[in-house]
Amino acid sequence: MEPIIEFKDVSKEFEGNVVLKDLNISVKKGEIFVLVGPSGSGKTTSLKMINGLVEPTDGNLYFKNKRIKDYNIQKLRWQIGYVLQQIALFPTMSVKENIEVIPEMLGWGKEQRNKRVDELLQEVDMDPEQFRDRMPSELSGGQQQRIGIIRALASEPDIVLMDEPFSALDPISRASLQDLVLELHQKLGNTIIFVTHNMKEAMKIGSRIAVMHEGKLIQCDTPEEIQKNPANQFVEEFFDETTDEVYTQTLETLYNGGFYQSAETADAALPSLSMDTSLSEVFDLLIKHDAFIIVRDSKKIGLIDRSDVFRFLSQEG
Amino acid sequence: MNELMNTFTERKDDLLTAIFEHLAISLSALLIAVVIAIPLAILLSQRKKLAEIVLQITSILQTIPSLALLGLLIPFVGIGTVPALIALVVYALLPIFQNTYIGLSEIDPSIEEAADAFGMSRMRKLMRVELPMAMPVIISGVRTALVLIIGTATLAALIGAGGLGTFILLGIDRNDPSLTLIGAISSALLAIIFSTLIRFLQNRSGKVTLITLAVIFLSIGGIFFAQNNPIGTETVTIAGKLGSEPDILINMYKEVIKDEDSSINVELKPNFGKTSFLFSAVKNDQIDIYPEFTGTVLESLVKVPKSTPEDLSPEKTYQEANKLLDSQFDMRLLKPMDYENTYALAMKKSEAEKRGITKISQLQAQQDQLKAGFTLEFIDRQDGYRGIQDKYGVKLGSVQSMEPALRYQAINTGEVDVIDAYSTDSEIKQYELMTLEDDQHLFPPYQGAPLMKKEFAEEHPKVVKALNRLAGKITEEQMIEMNYQVNVKKEQPAKVAHDFLVKEKIIGEEN
Repeated sequence: MEPIIEFKDVSKEFEGNVVLKDLNISVKKGEIFVLVGPSGSGKTTSLKMINGLVEPTDGNLYFKNKRIKDYNIQKLRWQIGYVLQQIALFPTMSVKENIEVIPEMLGWGKEQRNKRVDELLQEVDMDPEQFRDRMPSELSGGQQQRIGIIRALASEPDIVLMDEPFSALDPISRASLQDLVLELHQKLGNTIIFVTHNMKEAMKIGSRIAVMHEGKLIQCDTPEEIQKNPANQFVEEFFDETTDEVYTQTLETLYNGGFYQSAETADAALPSLSMDTSLSEVFDLLIKHDAFIIVRDSKKIGLIDRSDVFRFLSQEG
Repeated sequence: MNELMNTFTERKDDLLTAIFEHLAISLSALLIAVVIAIPLAILLSQRKKLAEIVLQITSILQTIPSLALLGLLIPFVGIGTVPALIALVVYALLPIFQNTYIGLSEIDPSIEEAADAFGMSRMRKLMRVELPMAMPVIISGVRTALVLIIGTATLAALIGAGGLGTFILLGIDRNDPSLTLIGAISSALLAIIFSTLIRFLQNRSGKVTLITLAVIFLSIGGIFFAQNNPIGTETVTIAGKLGSEPDILINMYKEVIKDEDSSINVELKPNFGKTSFLFSAVKNDQIDIYPEFTGTVLESLVKVPKSTPEDLSPEKTYQEANKLLDSQFDMRLLKPMDYENTYALAMKKSEAEKRGITKISQLQAQQDQLKAGFTLEFIDRQDGYRGIQDKYGVKLGSVQSMEPALRYQAINTGEVDVIDAYSTDSEIKQYELMTLEDDQHLFPPYQGAPLMKKEFAEEHPKVVKALNRLAGKITEEQMIEMNYQVNVKKEQPAKVAHDFLVKEKIIGEEN
């Protein structure tokens, strides 16, 4: 597959500090390419070079085999979607106006824009009638980032950049938005470049993963290969560090911490889970169900709903 | 309260005009300040250091007392609307600039990044993202500025720019609290109404706000300029100093000119300001004519050669004044009226009799026990208190400076024993005062006559001819009586002037 983005010997210095050193990366068309690493590894700097928010000190970036600096930067940016960690919806614009920011600059007609807005809202399970004219402040964090994602997709861009898009969200919204990104990618087949500091997230989302550390690329491969053959101790440890998060804990932690209610009056139709269920599965389940029942030795020993999980998470944090 | 209502009813038309002038000047100043401050703040929002400097400068401008600022502007731009506008704009700059700058610089950097990353141009980012976000802060700055301007604009009356301040000044001058109250209340109401209007608009969409403001500005601005520039017809502008007498006189000027040629457009600017304002207004062609006194010309306006003898007769004073005006300023005084309005020192009749004082020279013996209330102008003039000290050797126990109208109050209540007065003041009759004889002839003769540029006189023979109808007319008793009608009986100056001219057959009855 031909490369859509290429970094060739790219370096970047900020006030004498080297933040990127001789980076060589090639992103293939249609893949989800994840840049993962701890803070200060240079992953966000690399991402922002693609849409020209940061310029390299040395080396060149290529978009479709043409140097980025040879493009009209404004027009290039219309072809590159961008999703920010801070979400950054324009607070004085309605949901609809936010989504059509780029289509408007591209000169789409009113009807075409309206149709596109409704289509995208439906794509992320938000009723257009209900949400179209709301203001960002009237939405939850998860809903806001859904709008953030479809705003980036509105003009059907060739590539979409996502800069730690879910790290400010609660684990439940995060899990569901990760699924959403995978689903949309399946459907649209565009190229996504995704930055995260969370290896678990990288493993779940990435077609290929680039592990970065202190401005250098350490390893670039498929998730399976990286897990099987970590290039060095850093990669190995990075796995352990980021997998040691709430995601990998089990229901037992919640139960032992007292974050549950009595199961006596519980609705029999609710799903049941065993004590060794991982919390990431728990979060996934809570997207669709309000609550579930904990079962040990085929006895119902408690009921957990979303508020219990939030209480637990807020204490963890 | 009743008096307030009566004054209000009587002055309804004047009040409307004043409110209109007040709004026109306030809103124009606001508009200019907005046009300067907002773009400047936008330009400087990316340059922090420069913005800080501008903020400092605007803060310093803010601390200049408004009265001082008006005074400082006169040598450069003269008097009237222009300096008032400049002063108001200067005051409005800080709140608008500061709020715009803060509003723009407090925008979340990630929002700025998003706008850049979506390929917005600088202009689009400004119009679609930054300004809408900063708008509430900007609008509140504009509101602060507006309230400030409407309040400060009352001072504009001091330099002849009109507005509600004329009511306040006139109220002080005529010792009529109703007028002052009406001016103050109207100005406060305007501030409240417009501040509320802006707050109301703040919660509407940006478009509604902009359109409403534009309509208000354009309609007021349009009517204002339409009123002030009657196209094609020439206007003779006549102004008068503060007080009833100049007000009556300029109304007479208008009537005689209209009687001579009704096609001449005459605009009156009563209570325009003090002597120096009026004189520089003629010099700068802001007004055409104002009534001046021969003595004042010699004392304060022209440079008098050393060779000129001191004790001039009224006739000689007029000739000398006219000659010096001609050679130094290319101006002329038309022929004076009959009465003399000279400076005088006045005491209560009862007090003067008790102390046995009838002449100024007799003051010296009891000078330490006497308290004086003089106008600021009188204290500082050679033919005023300075001359009294030099020529008579009189140094009074205490001398307080007072507004002209207040000193009559002070002598009536016994706060002071001696005041300066004009010989035609109605209050001499009203408060049973007597004037002291100027036994060493300190006060020069003061005869009233229209002052104008020579060029104007040559170009307007009909106006000169009309004004000369008043030459040698109006005795001192008649003037005191007319002042009494206006100040005490609260008659309109225009009516008093008209009735006198008709009675004396100076103009025809049908006018």
